[in-house]
Amino acid sequence: MPELPKKKVGIIACSGEEIAEGTVTRLAALQVLERLRPHKTVTICLPLFLAGGEGDRAFAKFHHTIAIDGCDKRCAAQATEMYSGKPAAGIVVTDIVREGGLGPVEGRRRLNEAGRTAVAATAERVADLVDDLLGSEWDRTREGHGTDDPLVGAGQGTEVQAAPENAAPQEAAVQATCSCGSGIPIQKVEIEGKSVSLVGLSLIFERFEQAGKNMGSETAGDLLDVARIYNPIPKDAEGAYTSALIREYAAFLHRRRKTP
Amino acid sequence: MSESGRRVMIVPCSGIGKTYGTVSREAAYEVVEEMRPDETRLVALSLLVMGDSEARAAVAGGPAITIDGCKLACASKMVKESGGTVVREFDVLEVYRRHNDLKPQGIALLNEDGERLARVLAEEVAATVDAARSQEEGRDA
Repeated sequence: MPELPKKKVGIIACSGEEIAEGTVTRLAALQVLERLRPHKTVTICLPLFLAGGEGDRAFAKFHHTIAIDGCDKRCAAQATEMYSGKPAAGIVVTDIVREGGLGPVEGRRRLNEAGRTAVAATAERVADLVDDLLGSEWDRTREGHGTDDPLVGAGQGTEVQAAPENAAPQEAAVQATCSCGSGIPIQKVEIEGKSVSLVGLSLIFERFEQAGKNMGSETAGDLLDVARIYNPIPKDAEGAYTSALIREYAAFLHRRRKTP
Repeated sequence: MSESGRRVMIVPCSGIGKTYGTVSREAAYEVVEEMRPDETRLVALSLLVMGDSEARAAVAGGPAITIDGCKLACASKMVKESGGTVVREFDVLEVYRRHNDLKPQGIALLNEDGERLARVLAEEVAATVDAARSQEEGRDA
């Protein structure tokens, strides 16, 4: 059984420019991305689900996603579910403000005191959700070992430490990991006569190649285990998926040898 | 046409990972809140992504100016997708190329150059608002 790779948590803020709570979502997301959980989170602009390509729309399939919405229209949560995948969690700033009795949030351009408090409270809530999402899945499969690279197996990286609260000055320089334009690689694969879109295949193959994994039954099983993290694989089609994966991996290795 | 119908819709980028997104928003707020508060209205991209009927009607009912923070041009694409007419697409990077002494930095908070660049961009947007409204009024007359 291979060590399963670690996904990051995707943060999607509604960013609603018309209201102050939208500014809270943006700044709270930034706090999580840059200071609270910088190595565990990544973001994408919500409009890219429509304005971008298939790779952008794969975002919520590839990452567990937390939607941060400013109001109960819940644009981020609903659009993510409509165009990419159901978010693993969602929070609404107006709920946090009401629950915390934080007072009216005002100033979409420059937040008032209540707004700034709401940013901190929202960011803390999101950071807790990030820990819950990573802990609930990864600790079971990785037994405490891991790397920050989503596709590197055990023994090839170092233990990732959670970013401490109240970030140190050097962490303030961390930039939000923005997925804009990078997209998640998608590959069409023929399985049982149907064309199936698989997410992240080229990244998985690259990592397997770097790990020196050659063709063989053990590699086939490992490929299936890793591919299913990012793709729904029906139980009764595992054999067909395994065959397709090993075939595509062979083709990948062949192409790499022809083009050094 | 009603007074509110003649407002020019300002649609900035929603990007949170890059400084140019912040410049686009800052310029939009400068126009909508300070320079042309009675002639413009800000429309949030997230509402257009969701297909919010009121937001779609707003961009479809009047001229729109988009301010994009990167080449992916989400704001321009979403306004067109929503049936709006974009009278001018601003690209923060293009404005920065023309004013490359103003190097924007920071996302949550822009540096001084970033604020200045946003102001320069806002002035161009405001001039475009005036031109769009003059054109509309000429058409209505």
